[in-house]
Amino acid sequence: MSAPCALLAWALLALLGLGLGGPREDPPITCCPIVPRREWRAPASKCTKKLKLPVRYVVVSHTAGSPCDCPASCLMQVQNVHNFHTGTLNWCDVGYNFLIGEDGLVYEGRGWDTKGDHTGPTWNLISIGISFMGNYMERSPPPRALRAAQSLLAWGVAQGKLSPTYEVKGHRDVQRTLSPGDRLYEIIQTWPRYHE
Amino acid sequence: MRKARLQELLWMLFISELQAATEPHEEKYVLAAGETLNVQCPFSIQKYANSQKAWQRLMDTGEPLTLVFTESVSGNPSQVRMGRYFLEDIPSEAMLNVQMTSLQVEDSGLYRCVIYHPPKDPDILSPLVRLVVIKGTTVSDKNPTQNLAKISTLPPTTTKAQSTLLNSPRTVTQLLPKSTADISSPGLGVNITNATDVTSYGFRVPVINIVILVLCGLLSKSLVFTVLLAVTQRSFGP
Repeated sequence: MSAPCALLAWALLALLGLGLGGPREDPPITCCPIVPRREWRAPASKCTKKLKLPVRYVVVSHTAGSPCDCPASCLMQVQNVHNFHTGTLNWCDVGYNFLIGEDGLVYEGRGWDTKGDHTGPTWNLISIGISFMGNYMERSPPPRALRAAQSLLAWGVAQGKLSPTYEVKGHRDVQRTLSPGDRLYEIIQTWPRYHE
Repeated sequence: MRKARLQELLWMLFISELQAATEPHEEKYVLAAGETLNVQCPFSIQKYANSQKAWQRLMDTGEPLTLVFTESVSGNPSQVRMGRYFLEDIPSEAMLNVQMTSLQVEDSGLYRCVIYHPPKDPDILSPLVRLVVIKGTTVSDKNPTQNLAKISTLPPTTTKAQSTLLNSPRTVTQLLPKSTADISSPGLGVNITNATDVTSYGFRVPVINIVILVLCGLLSKSLVFTVLLAVTQRSFGP
């Protein structure tokens, strides 16, 4: 190989290295279609407390309830969770900021701006709570659900709702609980933003 | 042979330079003298609910100085105060609240929350706190008219610092005459936050400056290695 060719090759590799270098990067945003409240026929939220943006923490939990793997059943499942939180627990709205279904879709809960009821008095004020619908002690969510969650978080950064240096925590890292389930907890520990 | 090996070595060094260490992330807090610093340090509830925590200052030598530490290992909430330092450990919420009151300029420096279990090395919690305490009136003064009166009586150097902080939603490097003229404008001190600035660290720096600095840093490293590799080619080539 002639010297200029080799030099060019190294220069290109250097540029490629630039692209790959730095701290482990967030996955590229593939898409972020979020199923809005109107679509799952959510009653109006009665919640008033706002989050201070940008938020620095994301808490991942599971609902520990039934999973759902198609849009129709997930729509019903979100409504079930909402009914339980507002009816039985008497909260102002479904507790989570976003819910993830095994159909690979993100369901809008309280959204980016409103304080949720998902983790506890300290963490609700400083974090976005996302919950995977299902029980993940012995099963893992399918890759499309994990992709949807990662996409959502990358979107949050792009929108300025999440700090570019946000940290992901498992629910069991900050509260005494089994949530988000052994299998899902193992998975989120491999996420680039996870920080114990 | 030598040439190939040297190239391999340089290539390996190049790759390793690109990988960032996974260190706790550093947060900058800029406050005025007399104000109070409040920091929240989360910890893993599973690992550290029953551990002692401490607030340390990292001296210039790199040695950590323990300022205050909790004593309770019961897993119940506890508070401890040592002069200006206050720690509140809430194990059930996996949170350590730190407070430093009556800040002085000499307090400026690097601090950290740690899990304290001597003689073992402490486990460092995120975030690392870079504290900058500045003299003079508060940065986020809510009363513009009071500020006007104060600014006009202060010596020029202090005026410049304050007026640039209050009047620069865009850049920190405004010329003094320009900012003095801005003092009398109605927009004084009101519109401090601006979407183009990085405000999450409490310090207003335009994003574009940071982007340029980062790019320069990355480019300079890869340029150095490319040049080194080129030189290797020349000196060991046929």
